[in-house]
Amino acid sequence: MELEKRLEELRRRGEGALMPHVYFGDPSPAFSFRLIRTLAEGGADLLELGIPFSDPIADGPTFIAACERALAAGVTPRGCLEALRRLREEGLHLPVLLTTYYNVILSMGLGKFCAEVRRAGAQGLIVPDLPVEEADELLESARGEGLHLIFQVAPTTSGRRMERIVGKASGFLYVIGVEGVTGAREELEPSTVELMGRVRRLTSLPLLAGFGISRPEHVVSLLRAGADGCVVGSAIARIYSERLEEPEQTLPSISKFVRSLKEATRSPP
Amino acid sequence: MKGRFGRFGGQYVSEVLMHALEELEEAFERIYPTPEFQRELGLLLRDYAGRPTPLYHARGLSELTGCRVYLKREDLVTGGSHKLNNCLGQALLARRMGKTRLITETAAGQHGLATAMAGNVVGMEVEIFMGVKDMERQASNVKRMLLLGAKVTPVSTGSGVLKDAVSDTLREWARCTGTTHYLMGSTVGPHPFPEIVATFQSVIGRELRQQILEREGRLPDAIVACGSGGSNALGAFRAFLQDEGVRLYFVEGGGESLEADNSAAAFRLGRPGVLHGALMQLLQDEHGQVKPSKTRAAGLNYPGRGPELSHLCETGRVKACHAFDREVFEAVRTTCRAEGLLPALETAHALAFLLNHPEEFSRGEVVVVNFSGRGDKDLETLMRYFYGA
Repeated sequence: MELEKRLEELRRRGEGALMPHVYFGDPSPAFSFRLIRTLAEGGADLLELGIPFSDPIADGPTFIAACERALAAGVTPRGCLEALRRLREEGLHLPVLLTTYYNVILSMGLGKFCAEVRRAGAQGLIVPDLPVEEADELLESARGEGLHLIFQVAPTTSGRRMERIVGKASGFLYVIGVEGVTGAREELEPSTVELMGRVRRLTSLPLLAGFGISRPEHVVSLLRAGADGCVVGSAIARIYSERLEEPEQTLPSISKFVRSLKEATRSPP
Repeated sequence: MKGRFGRFGGQYVSEVLMHALEELEEAFERIYPTPEFQRELGLLLRDYAGRPTPLYHARGLSELTGCRVYLKREDLVTGGSHKLNNCLGQALLARRMGKTRLITETAAGQHGLATAMAGNVVGMEVEIFMGVKDMERQASNVKRMLLLGAKVTPVSTGSGVLKDAVSDTLREWARCTGTTHYLMGSTVGPHPFPEIVATFQSVIGRELRQQILEREGRLPDAIVACGSGGSNALGAFRAFLQDEGVRLYFVEGGGESLEADNSAAAFRLGRPGVLHGALMQLLQDEHGQVKPSKTRAAGLNYPGRGPELSHLCETGRVKACHAFDREVFEAVRTTCRAEGLLPALETAHALAFLLNHPEEFSRGEVVVVNFSGRGDKDLETLMRYFYGA
């Protein structure tokens, strides 16, 4: 399924996009398969599939722990790509964005990584430690494989930078709503809403808001502020992290949580 | 290219931090060259830090090696290491940028201590992130930081060592760049940090050049410095990069052995990769996951080599070497007995290389060791090693 087509279709229906973010292999590959199926059935529109990295500097405590557990479980970048291929075979039809830190990509080789990602069935890449200044090489490899390289903007991004980013972006813009790292937060900061307006004026690209989103109310506020969708990651990992010895027991709660978020994306503006 | 040393360097950080890096680069280029800044820093380096540090003709080590050995006495900088040179510079810069708080990480505790001192000099709040393992093995420096009023925050993510503390400091900085300056302690991290730290540390080499010319009437044959990120080494080397006749040796932590996972020798065992914002020589596995480094010297226990150093070693201008833990402990004892000086375990890597590699140094050559820090902080480790108590 094409990324742009899916986002366009949601926009036409007046619906926001819900993109759960999971680090594959936390706490085990078997659980990740079940988790991803649960998310897809619960109404996820896109999936951000994370390849764990040893030093995730843009992530907060929940995802740091997720990466550590996944790596301890022996998960490798190739293992993640293989998993995506299997998910596709089993009928996962959502657009998938692969996310990982730049060294993982560099280590495999940019061209090879992008080719493998496309073969595995993803539509794009999110690289949280690759600002637009450093992105040209990967951008070329990604475009060569028909992959989107998703760029991020933040409350600290100046107008000048934002124009440079918008100039290279495709697919959607990932709008980091808070200063800081990933992690569920109780309240939505006013800066998030303000930023959404600032980006909206610059581009017609879809805007997906991320970092700190943990409640249906957050989703409603962000969509009202002009977002086309939301990324929810740590809030999901937090649920199964509480029962790591038998995480599948939490799948019903996760399903309920995702359904409530998806419901929020359908609320009228 | 901006912020690059050959192919190394760059700015591989979250978009959240890019504004702060641009702001810092602009401020450094604007403020650093001004006479007011230079005067203020110069006075602090002289009257507070105790510069210039002496260049000492080490007769005992000279006798042992057959060379004319000089020690650049950075151990005499207030706080006991070269770290304060950079901390005073960056603290002054941060204050002029209107920041009110300094954060940083530390391993051996020397950089944390120097940041706490510099923070008090300029009147800024200080928070230090330190791996739980390092807090244990460098307990005396933790106490000194606390006495100076710094907040010391334990880091238990990853393996609870320097690499993890750097990650956590970057995460904290992303939350508060408006008020806070990350006082990077080594020539690592995203541009402009490697350039800023090397600039502030290059006072070592400028003094050294003048001092050796006064003493010997010529440049040295070789300079030996220890390191991981590279701040004391680049500080000493930068003034000599164009002098092809001066051989430059960089000594990294060999750890127990060069077997898997027992070493910090990134030049021997690593390959280029991106960590903490820069492309540099890096210890990593075949999948690009960063490997934990291992050495008894907490200050050398970092898996990356700063971008400038990575470049200088790749071009061959600097020779990358290593010393093993057991050689390092022996070098501490030898230096104590031969000179009456107690070097830090980190510094002892440079001394160990000089003592154990006669093939590199001809008789009568003038060799300068950058004596980057004193070893009081390592007393407990040394006692346990030598006396089992």
